[in-house]
Amino acid sequence: MDKLSLARSELREMDALAAEDSPIHRIHPLCKLLVTILYIVAVVSFPKYDFSGLIVMLLYPVLLFQITGIPVRLCFHKLRFVLPLVCAVGIVNPFLDRTPLLALGGLTISGGVVSMLVLMMKGVFSLMASFLLIATTSIDSLCAALRKIHVPAVITTLLLLTYRYIGVMLEEVSVMTQGYSLRAPGQKGIHISAWGSFLGQLLLRSMDRAGELYNSMLLRGFKGNFFYADVPPCRVSGLIYTLLCAAFFLCARVINISALLGSLFVR
Amino acid sequence: MVKFQNVSFSYDGEHPVLEDLSFTINKGEAVGLIGANGAGKSTIMNLLLGLLKGSGEIIVDGLPVNKQNLPQIRQKIGFVLQNSDNQMFMPTVYEDMIFGPLNYGLSREEAERRVDQVLDTLGLQGLKHRHNHKISGGEKRMAAIATILAMEPEMIVMDEPSTALDPVNRRRVINTINSLPQTKLIASHDLDMILDTCQRVLLISQGKIVADGDAEAVLLDKALLEANQMELPLCVQGWQRKHG
Amino acid sequence: MHMADALLAPAVAATMYAATAVTVGASVKTLKKDEESAKLPTMAVTSALVFAGQMINYTIPGTGSSGHLCGGMLLSALLGPQAGFLSMVVILTIQCLFFADGGLLALGANCWNMAFYGCFVGYYLLWRPIMRSKAFKGLGAKGEGRMKIILASILGCVITLQLGAFSVVLETTVSGVTELPFGAFVGIMQPIHLAIGLVEGLITSAVLLFVYESRPELLMDVDNIPAVQAKRSVKATLVILAVLVLVVGGGLSLAASANPDGLEWSMFGNAESGYSENMGLDEENYGIASAAADTAASIQEKTAFLPDYAFANSDSAAGTSVSGIAGSAIVAGVALLVCLGGGFFRKKKAAAKA
Repeated sequence: MDKLSLARSELREMDALAAEDSPIHRIHPLCKLLVTILYIVAVVSFPKYDFSGLIVMLLYPVLLFQITGIPVRLCFHKLRFVLPLVCAVGIVNPFLDRTPLLALGGLTISGGVVSMLVLMMKGVFSLMASFLLIATTSIDSLCAALRKIHVPAVITTLLLLTYRYIGVMLEEVSVMTQGYSLRAPGQKGIHISAWGSFLGQLLLRSMDRAGELYNSMLLRGFKGNFFYADVPPCRVSGLIYTLLCAAFFLCARVINISALLGSLFVR
Repeated sequence: MVKFQNVSFSYDGEHPVLEDLSFTINKGEAVGLIGANGAGKSTIMNLLLGLLKGSGEIIVDGLPVNKQNLPQIRQKIGFVLQNSDNQMFMPTVYEDMIFGPLNYGLSREEAERRVDQVLDTLGLQGLKHRHNHKISGGEKRMAAIATILAMEPEMIVMDEPSTALDPVNRRRVINTINSLPQTKLIASHDLDMILDTCQRVLLISQGKIVADGDAEAVLLDKALLEANQMELPLCVQGWQRKHG
Repeated sequence: MHMADALLAPAVAATMYAATAVTVGASVKTLKKDEESAKLPTMAVTSALVFAGQMINYTIPGTGSSGHLCGGMLLSALLGPQAGFLSMVVILTIQCLFFADGGLLALGANCWNMAFYGCFVGYYLLWRPIMRSKAFKGLGAKGEGRMKIILASILGCVITLQLGAFSVVLETTVSGVTELPFGAFVGIMQPIHLAIGLVEGLITSAVLLFVYESRPELLMDVDNIPAVQAKRSVKATLVILAVLVLVVGGGLSLAASANPDGLEWSMFGNAESGYSENMGLDEENYGIASAAADTAASIQEKTAFLPDYAFANSDSAAGTSVSGIAGSAIVAGVALLVCLGGGFFRKKKAAAKA
């Protein structure tokens, strides 16, 4: 049952982070969204053995974490969802791909080991980027940005409405699970006899809630339109940020900066 | 302001929820609607707002409640829901408050002016840009009232405005209600609050009006209240306990 | 089954985004016709509930483990396929943004794998035909409805999860991130998701049965069970599905196990070189890269203090060379410096505030 309270505290945490202030928080949400997507595309497009090229991409999240002062710890906590499948897929690489790629003294590093490492780095890097996006951007301004790029209003409205009620529902579900577990000590989950009624009850109540919600909209003259606060227009700083980031990602993707740096000292 | 004439209602056509109900509420009156669970309080409010349709006639400010008049009627009557979470569905308090006025065709400037005015009167400016899912229960109730006031209704209908509030927040809501000049219809089990806010009380039992009169007269009538599954307001009980 | 960004090549991710976007567009268009605004509150509240409901652990009798709810099937049975799909998309987006459950770039693929199959395939090929069919006639009205719901939920969850898992394998393989042969990957993923699908189906059917007993009007296609004539009988649908699954699953895995590497190579080409070409990032042909390399070479002439210290193979695949390692170490050092610097400035700021 711990999952529920964990989810609630994580939501609160992300909200609190997005409400803080930093130069990154003040950048236009659309710019941040674009930069994040560019970053992730650049990261995942690295060839599978390109460890040294990929590591340069670490600089972007590291810089952002430092500028915003957001604790990295919170981000790594979220890795628990992403890493299992990535690991499961990557872990076989060292066994299947034994092409020697590099010999360091007596130690031969095979392609599989490198590609596994690269895969995991890609997973961690792209997670950090999307974490940083949402930790510096509130969901309302993100939705405003999405509307600007013509994502259907149904989706953004539904996103905001759902987000609004997730807190309420998590609370209800956790109260119910608490009530259940207090009367069923020693059970790890919901017993088969209550499989249907447990969520079913809540579902029926939610339907009533939705009805009341809709009434409350109708009573205030709802005709299908929602009105949201607009985000301020994009300033020059946002454009500069986007261009700088894009340029850096492109350079790092095209030129192996690590190899370049290294070759200054080693040949 | 409101006139119910021989209104009946039933969900299934067999068991009537309301039977031949008639009453009037005059402009500027504050009326308490009391009665046991299932007596028909919510049904009365839903009929008044056109959310349900029964037989008989309901007239709001000269307009019969029917599909065609609904937009006008709903503009005149603001409804504060019992569960503020169901009422406040937008991300922030501000967006929720501006929702109604904009839907009724006000310009953004005019709507914003109204929002600020209401927030100033209620002393809630601090809540304006807060997120609805992050404010406390007391704040949420005040914000819900503000949401309705921003529509500048002529009458306010409230469903249990004092539930789940601590004493300080409850008192704050009561003071706010008392400061509002509009016609009010307040449904509640909190008889002490009704005594504090209403001059007149309608007592409903099993779909019928069993008492309609001066708030103090009805709420101090022990026999009447107990015959209808109610009891004396707690302040009265306390006073009696002390003075015999 | 949520995929991370790392498992997808950009071209694959973009394709899946496009597929999802088209489905979203079509759903929005269909919904507009039948009162989308009236459905919005219900969609929002139900998806919030499904989101929360997926965190409930259901104990599986006889085992120590627990199962979860299958969102797509439940939502399309309650809201219809279009509204269900949009709700699932929203749930997956929130999971991706706030809980890092699935990547941002992989969102399109995740929506496809979990929402599309669960809602559209689950509804049009399973839920609706089964609910409208004449199966279980002998059991009386209630019994008939119950059996149909159980059958539709379990089949729906199992089949849509199989399709989803198969898509995960396909997408990952096409992206070229794993060395695992296609056949072996399928062999691992499908049976795992068969078990998960069975449990999810049972849980989902339990919830839907509860709704059916108390408020049947909330479920799609239930009020008109006897009235509407089915276009196809359940038997026919099942046969079609079974054949489909056999052909797709069996055919592909046969081909894959006979020639594990051959399949992906012949079907999709060398994925890695394929996508770097797609991205226009083929380094050999890139002017900037070679210009930069020339400059680097000239600088290197002057600064290199370890001349001719290189290994065999060191020029392989884009710079996993000794210089690459040295450079990586330098980059890591810079990152560390940034961290230290950031910490220093923040402390200073905090001290100034205090």
